Amino acid sequence: MSNAFTIEDLKYKYPDNKEDVLKGISFDVKEGEIFGLLGPSGAGKSTTQKVLTKLLDSYRGNISYFGRDLRSLGNEFYEDVGVGFEMPVHFAKLTGMENMKFFSSFYKRKGDLKMLMERVGLWEHRDIKVADYSKGMKVRLNFVRAMLNEPKVLFLDEVTNGLDPKNARIIKDMISEYRAAGGTVFLTTHLMNDVEQLCDRVAFCVEGGLYEISAPRDLKIKYGRRELKVEYRGDKGTETQIYPMDAIGRNKEFLEVLETKDIETIHSGETSMEDIFIIVTGASLL
Amino acid sequence: MKNFLKLTFGEINRLVKYMILPISLVTSVIWIIVFFLISADEAMSLAPLAIFTDVALMSVVLIGAAHHLEKQEGSIKSLFMTPVSIEQILASKIISSMVMALESFVVISAALYFIHGITFNYLLMFVYVVIASCAHAGIGFILSLISFDFSSMLGYLMAYMFVFTIPSILFSFGMIAEKFEWLLFVSPAHSASVLIGSAITGDGELWKIIFALCFLTILSGVLLRFAVYPKFKRGSIRN
Repeated sequence: MSNAFTIEDLKYKYPDNKEDVLKGISFDVKEGEIFGLLGPSGAGKSTTQKVLTKLLDSYRGNISYFGRDLRSLGNEFYEDVGVGFEMPVHFAKLTGMENMKFFSSFYKRKGDLKMLMERVGLWEHRDIKVADYSKGMKVRLNFVRAMLNEPKVLFLDEVTNGLDPKNARIIKDMISEYRAAGGTVFLTTHLMNDVEQLCDRVAFCVEGGLYEISAPRDLKIKYGRRELKVEYRGDKGTETQIYPMDAIGRNKEFLEVLETKDIETIHSGETSMEDIFIIVTGASLL
Repeated sequence: MKNFLKLTFGEINRLVKYMILPISLVTSVIWIIVFFLISADEAMSLAPLAIFTDVALMSVVLIGAAHHLEKQEGSIKSLFMTPVSIEQILASKIISSMVMALESFVVISAALYFIHGITFNYLLMFVYVVIASCAHAGIGFILSLISFDFSSMLGYLMAYMFVFTIPSILFSFGMIAEKFEWLLFVSPAHSASVLIGSAITGDGELWKIIFALCFLTILSGVLLRFAVYPKFKRGSIRN
């Protein structure tokens, strides 16, 4: 599998700032994976995305896009990428459809606009002005906007922020299908669910630095508590016991509980991504 | 080139949808009513002011209104993510501002002809309006880009008008002595006034016309390349 992006020692300083916002980060985004950048507000996630989407060009370090120096690419780069912003980015006095047709007109490759609008539940609202859309509808329209040109690489910033669970599920399904069809996704978020449900790999971003780049599952195994928590109905109501995961199949006490008690729940001692984030970075996600 | 045309038509379409072009038309209609109420001689002397106002003032206000609306919407950032260049985006906005100025020129010219039978060198006026509106689009962008919102932009515009536009209007009404005209040549508004006035009256000193043409052309280039472009890029990305 080749790298969609290879980032080496990336540093960036805004003209008005004294310090670098990105302090020499290195990572790669493999073709066909969903790579998540997880971190609190102000950590440098959006700046990283702005650099990778060529909005910010005065960076230091090296970035290659499918083996080519990012700096050497012209506007044709945008034929390849789709960008979903966190905030609404549409002309409020135009309808949803007018907006999509306008942006779509600039690309050589055009996605199935009707299918995309139907999928996110906006087809029947296509002739309503964006000013009259709810926040959730604007977020869904942002996603359609990002998919307009059937991109090779999709950048998504807090993609489900502001969505109800049903619509968040639809968007996540579409992202998974996009990945399954060979697409690459660069996701920046502070939402745990998005990372756990979508990302193949995740990097923790705090104060312009990156910590621990790994698959969410591997992180959970590495930082999880190796224990099993059993809740069962005892003489005094629900009772709880915790057993070590190691050699659990030979743990007589555990096996006896399974055989003799009325089990209510069994949970492995998984640590949440939020806990792992705090353990690794020492920072909170809020 | 195809994308540039789409951008430009998109800009003009939005001028209509956002009621900016219709509002500009209303101001032209006000001038038509005024021309109905005055004599041909008075109309002839007032016509340069009518076109000048739309080129040097309305276009600045309308560029500011459009810019701050788009800033609120975040739509420029979305345009940056398409295969169009920032230069193309800026050029399309300048052309749409020219369209507003030309619309005013066409309406006022038609009114002068149909009401009073007044004609003038339309081709020359077209060229002058294009050059003057380009420079004032640059000024409109600068005022928009340095201002926080539309209200503060209007504050900057008032300051600009006080220094550059009002003296030029006072001069055209003979309220500033001719010996001080050289001072006014630092004003883009005065250069626009000289050009528009000379196209309607058919006279005017050649050196003033040449100076005004060169001044506005160089000013447009310098403003757009060294002030508007970097500020527009930085401001749009940050929002």
